[in-house]
Amino acid sequence: MQFLYSGLTSGSVYGLVALGFNIIYNTTGIINFAQGEFVMIGGMLIYTLFAVMGLPFPIAFIGAVGGAFVMGILFEKVFIRLTKIKNELNLITVTIAASIIIRDLAMHFWGRDSLPVKEFIPVFNIQLPGGVMSSQSILVIAVSLFVAFGLNMFLKKSKYGKAMRASFDDPIAAETCGINVSNIRVMSFGVAALLGAVAGVIIAPIMFVTYDDGIMTGLKGFAAAILGGMGNFGAAIAGGLLLGILESFSASIIPSGLKDAVAFIVILIILFVKPDGLFGKKKVHRV
Amino acid sequence: MLEVKSLHVSYGGVQALTNVSVHVSKGEFVSLIGSNGAGKTTLLNSIMNIVGKQKGTAIFDGKDVTKFGTSQIVTSGMALVPEGRRVFSNMSVLENLEMGGFKRPAAEVKNKLEEIVKMFPVLGERGYQMAGMLSGGEQQMLAIGRALMSNPRILLMDEPSMGLAPLVIKEVYEKLKVLAESGLTILLVEQNASMALKYAQRGYVLENGRIIMQGKASELLGDNEVKRAYLGKEYKEKWER
Repeated sequence: MQFLYSGLTSGSVYGLVALGFNIIYNTTGIINFAQGEFVMIGGMLIYTLFAVMGLPFPIAFIGAVGGAFVMGILFEKVFIRLTKIKNELNLITVTIAASIIIRDLAMHFWGRDSLPVKEFIPVFNIQLPGGVMSSQSILVIAVSLFVAFGLNMFLKKSKYGKAMRASFDDPIAAETCGINVSNIRVMSFGVAALLGAVAGVIIAPIMFVTYDDGIMTGLKGFAAAILGGMGNFGAAIAGGLLLGILESFSASIIPSGLKDAVAFIVILIILFVKPDGLFGKKKVHRV
Repeated sequence: MLEVKSLHVSYGGVQALTNVSVHVSKGEFVSLIGSNGAGKTTLLNSIMNIVGKQKGTAIFDGKDVTKFGTSQIVTSGMALVPEGRRVFSNMSVLENLEMGGFKRPAAEVKNKLEEIVKMFPVLGERGYQMAGMLSGGEQQMLAIGRALMSNPRILLMDEPSMGLAPLVIKEVYEKLKVLAESGLTILLVEQNASMALKYAQRGYVLENGRIIMQGKASELLGDNEVKRAYLGKEYKEKWER
């Protein structure tokens, strides 16, 4: 049971990162390999605002997440917008380049050390059937589910959320409705960065923040997105939780040094066996 | 109302439209016919600025909209029903309609929605279904309804007969006729020349990116060249005899 609990905690973070992958995949058709860097940025900003500057947590949180949102927008405006030939291969390469640039800048700015962020809620353990869970883990899971739910409501109910779905569905038709699709694309980068930063903030007290956190988190979030099935938000969260649980259970059978390999084995198996992902379904089309 | 002057458009070095001029007066129903690849869709898309114009101007209601972005053009009162309908297949029928009114205030969208459901009852019946599950004819009605949601003064229609059964085509054109009679200006492009000219007042013939003929729709329908090239076999035989 204990494995399940710790799996759910890391899994919900993967789920949030996977959501970010999905949003950008839906609007641009590319995999944004810098997605993990936004998680790191979220962690770093909360370190600076909360741990160093000592701002009250709610303000620091808004600052960190808002800062990441702005960075996501700048990311689109600089890296994606300026790419002249916008095919998938070029854009994906650009995101990889951008992720390295962001990581290096973060290293210069925040240094190479792992930075501690103190807890923002009282820490205590909760006895659950078959194990314990810290209040922090529960917060991580609750926030992830809440954010996923919020995103879902945003896409289903709000005008701009619907416009986003319309642009995923058919950009040209969206354009003829008067929706400015390139603004929607910018917004999707902002939202994806925001989701990443939320993940970065909530795990900061558990994991510490290091400038190169983004690589692993990003790739695992990617694995989660592939596992669930690209282009499907619910599946991203499910894929994240499942990956987290698999990873944590694997620690009981294989050496823990190989724990990180699990995510990549999962990618391979999915791509070999079920390329649409576990919950991915072919889009229904009637011509 | 809409005046397109000497429009040139090219795609990657291939000239799609050469010196095309088209005008539509207020309240008119104008059809532009042409075969596959003549440049009909390109014309509408470049009026809407989905495709860039190389040369030429578009004046709409006295305003130069040549350089307007698509969403600005929609705001100024033009709406396009795109080729192949392009409904948002993973969104519900009502959501599709709502998207059509994206640039309009919420209260207006609500009224407009009622109006359109009254006009196309099937859209109301299927309101919560995914648009991708509708039949071709229903999707065409939805695409028209969606375009009307922006409360346009001119409706650009791209190939409404595409992939539809003859009876359904007739139904679509009857709806357009009702709209035209209520005062909406329509510019329609079609391969199905007999239908398009039958319902229109005036027509153009587009061939290889150039306007080769224009005039009253009834005159074009009677023209031997048009009959031979666009109105099918029976006419062709008559003409050859």
